[in-house]
Amino acid sequence: MAATLRQVLNHFEQQSGAVSLSRMARDLELEPSMLQEMINYWVRKGRLRQVCDSACTTCSGAQGCPFVYALPVVYELVTAPAETAPTACAESAPVPACSRCH
Amino acid sequence: MAAEPLTVALAGNPNVGKSTIFNALTGSYQQVGNWPGKTVEKKEGWVSIDGQRVAIVDLPGTYSLAAYSVEEIIARDFILNERPGIVVAVVDAANLERNLYLVCQILELGLPVIVALNMSDTARSRGVEIDVQKLSQQLNGTAVIETVGNRGIGIDTLKAAITRAQTARRQPSVLDYGDVIEAEIDQLQARIEADPVLAHQYRARWLAVKLLETDDDLRAHLEQMGHQPLVKSADEAIARVTASLGDDPETLITDRRYQFIGQAVGAAVTRPSQMAETPSDRADRIITHRLWGVPIFLLLMWIVFQFTANVSAPFVDWVDGVVTGPIAQWAAALLGAVGVSDTWLESLLLDGVIAGVGGVLVFVPVLLFLYLGIGLLEDSGYMARAAFVMDRVMRVIGLHGKSFLPLLIGFGCTVPAVYATRTLENERDRRVTGFLATFMSCGARLPVYVVFGAAFFGAQAGNLIFGLYLLGIGVALVTGLVMKRALYRSAPPQPFVMELPPYRMPDARTVGRQMWERTRGFVQRAFTVILGCSVAIWLLLAVPRSLNPGEFNTVEPQDSLFGSISGALAPVFAPAGFGTWEATGSLVTGGIAKEVIISTMNQVYALDAEEDASASETPTTFVEDMGSVAQSFGQAVILTGQEIVNIVPRTVNIIPGINLPEADFLGAGEASEDTSALNTMLTRAFTPLAAVAFTVFILLYVPCMAATAAMRHEFGSRWMLYQLGYTAVIAWVAAVVVYQGGLLLGIGGA
Repeated sequence: MAATLRQVLNHFEQQSGAVSLSRMARDLELEPSMLQEMINYWVRKGRLRQVCDSACTTCSGAQGCPFVYALPVVYELVTAPAETAPTACAESAPVPACSRCH
Repeated sequence: MAAEPLTVALAGNPNVGKSTIFNALTGSYQQVGNWPGKTVEKKEGWVSIDGQRVAIVDLPGTYSLAAYSVEEIIARDFILNERPGIVVAVVDAANLERNLYLVCQILELGLPVIVALNMSDTARSRGVEIDVQKLSQQLNGTAVIETVGNRGIGIDTLKAAITRAQTARRQPSVLDYGDVIEAEIDQLQARIEADPVLAHQYRARWLAVKLLETDDDLRAHLEQMGHQPLVKSADEAIARVTASLGDDPETLITDRRYQFIGQAVGAAVTRPSQMAETPSDRADRIITHRLWGVPIFLLLMWIVFQFTANVSAPFVDWVDGVVTGPIAQWAAALLGAVGVSDTWLESLLLDGVIAGVGGVLVFVPVLLFLYLGIGLLEDSGYMARAAFVMDRVMRVIGLHGKSFLPLLIGFGCTVPAVYATRTLENERDRRVTGFLATFMSCGARLPVYVVFGAAFFGAQAGNLIFGLYLLGIGVALVTGLVMKRALYRSAPPQPFVMELPPYRMPDARTVGRQMWERTRGFVQRAFTVILGCSVAIWLLLAVPRSLNPGEFNTVEPQDSLFGSISGALAPVFAPAGFGTWEATGSLVTGGIAKEVIISTMNQVYALDAEEDASASETPTTFVEDMGSVAQSFGQAVILTGQEIVNIVPRTVNIIPGINLPEADFLGAGEASEDTSALNTMLTRAFTPLAAVAFTVFILLYVPCMAATAAMRHEFGSRWMLYQLGYTAVIAWVAAVVVYQGGLLLGIGGA
C-alpha cells in the first residue's frame, strides 16, 4: 500500500540531511507527483515550509538582478515558529534593490 | 420546445486548459467581469446545445475546494450557492494525481459531474495511456471525455455528455473513511439533516466531512448563522477521532482521498513509471554521492577557474594592448592636436581616466569567461546540486545546506548574497550566513587575482585563483565553526527535501544573456565608480604633500598626498611583504569597490612605468595601428582555442603519473607571454611570496562599501562593525602567516 501522509512527514523527520524529491518518492514507493501533492498538504498545514525557489524574492530589484540563480524548490520541517524572517518569501517586506546593479 | 436554461460550471486546477475548453464551447459569446467584491476575473459565456440555452461559467483555477485561497472560496461558494446543473471538471491528463483531488471533492458535493480529460494528446506523447472506461468506473460512473481544447477535439462529445448528464441518474460519490470517522460523520449528518435550513443549503454528508476537516471558512460561516452547537459537536468529534486513531481527521480524510486517487489511477492509467530511475537520477548517484559529491564540486570549480584565468588571458592581453597602445596613443595625439600636450589635462586623461578605467575594462573578458563557466553549470542543472552536496559540509558549522545558496551568489556579488540570506528563517543562520558571504570571493576581486596570477604564475594562474577561492570557503567554514562554538549553540539544522531539476544541455542564449548581464554591471561601474575614483586618485597623486601649487602634477608620486597618506599606513603591511605606499594605497581605495584596486594600481604603477614605455615607443600610423589591432585579435582567437583545448590535458594531468602534452598553436610559450606594463611593474614591486600574501589579503579584507551598507541594512551597525573588524584582522593575519611562513620555509621570497 502506498505511503500515507503521516509516513511522508515521518520520513522527513527521519532524514539527517538533504534528500532529493525523486529519491524520497522512490523510498516511499510513491509517484513523484503524488508525493508533491502530499508535501503540499503538509505545507498548507504548516508542518512543512516551502523555501523560496529564488534566493532574492524579497529584493525589489530581483527581477533584473543578474546574480539571482534559478534555485530549486526546497521543503523543510517546521519545528518552531520562525524567529524573524519569512516563512513564505512573498510575505516579507521587500528590501531596496542592490545599488551595485540598479 | 426550448428546454430550461442550464448552468454549467467549468472547474479545474490552474493551467489545465480550462480557458481553451471555455472558448471552444462558447465561441465569441462571452462576458468578462469580476466576481462580486473580488478582483478575481469571472468569465461567462453562452452556447446552445440541442436547442437548449446553456450558460457556461469559468470558475477560478483551484487545487481543491478547501478555503485556503480566494479562488478556492469563490469556486466552492459558486458550486454550493448557485448549484450549477452540471460541473465539468477539466483535468490535465498528464497530471492526473494532482487534478483528481479536486474532482474527488466535487464528486462529494453530489452534483452531476463530467470529467474533461484535457491535453490528452500531450499525455499520450509522454507515454501516458488512459483507459477512459476504467477511469469512469473508478469515478463512480462519472462521464469521462477526452478533449484537446486548443484544437477543438472532443468538444462535440463533451456537449453531448452535457445533454446526457441532465437526465442521467446521479449517484453521489461516497468515499468510505473507515468505521471511526464514518460513525462521527453519521452523527453530524443526522444533526445537519435535522435543521431544515442547513439541510436545504448543504449536502449533509459533505458538510459533516468538511466540519471534520476543520474547514475554517465554513465553521466561521456556521457560527455566524448561530450554529455554534454544531461546530462544538464537530470539535468533540475531531477530538474523539484523534484520540482513537492517533491522527487528526483532516489528515486521515485527505489520506483516504489520495488512496482513492491512487487506486483510480492505478486501474486506469498505463505509463512509464516515474519511480524508475531517470538518467538524471543515475547521474545524481555519483554527482551527489555522500563521498564523491564534494570532490566533484571542487573539480568542477577548479575547471571553471582554469577556464576563467587561462582561456580569457589572450583576450585580456588583446584588450590591454588596444587600451595602452592605440587608444592611449590616439588620445595623446588628439590632445596634442588641440594644444594641451604635456599639461595637467593630458595627465588627467592619460594617467587618470585611461589608465584607471581602461585598466579595469581590460578584465571584461575574465568576467565574461567566469560567468560563462558558472552559467554552464547553472543551466545544466548542476548548481542546484551544489547546495545539496554542500549540505553535509554546512552542517559541520551548524548551518543548513540552504545557507550555501546565498554563499554561491556571493561568488558573483556580495550585495545580493547578503540580501539572499532573507530566505533563511532563522535569525542566527541569517547573521552567520551574511557574515560568511563576504569570504566568498566576488567577481570584482577576480581581476586582481588574474593580474597577479599572470604576472607571477603564468599558465598556473588558474591554480592560484582556485586556491584563493578555496581559501575563502575554508576561512568561511572555520569562521562559521568558531561562531557556532563561541556565539551560538543551538539544535542541529533541520533536514530538507530539494526538488532537483533534471540535467539538461545548457541553452546558448540563456547562458549568453546571463554572461552579458552579469558582466554589464562591471562595465557600468567602470564608467561610474571607477571613473570617479580614478579622477580622485589622480588628483591626490598630483597634489603635493606640501600643498604647494607650484608642484601640482610635477610632484614625485611618493611625495603626493596619496603617496604620503598611503606611505604612513604602509608599515602596517610590511610584515606581510607588501609594505609599499603603492600597494597600501591600492588596498585603501579597494574599500570603495574592489575593481578600484586595479585602477589604482594602473595609475600608481603606470607612473613608474612611463619612462620605460616612452623610451621604446615608436610612432605609428592609424592604418598600422588598426592592422596591429586586427592581427592581435586573430592571435587572441587562436590562443583562446588553444587554451580551451588545453583544459583537457591540464585536468587529466591532475592525476599523478599522467603528463599529457599541451597544445601550442603559435609556438612555445606564446600563450603565457604577457607584456603588460602593470604586470612588468608588479614583478618588480612584489616577490612571488608577497604577491600571494597580497592576493590573500584582497580575498579576505573588508568588503566594498555597497556590501557593507547591505550588511548594515540587514543586520544593523554593530554587526557590520564586527564584520569589518573581523575581516580586517583575519586578512592581515592570513597575509602575514602566508608571507612569514613562506620565508621560514624558504619559498618565493625573492
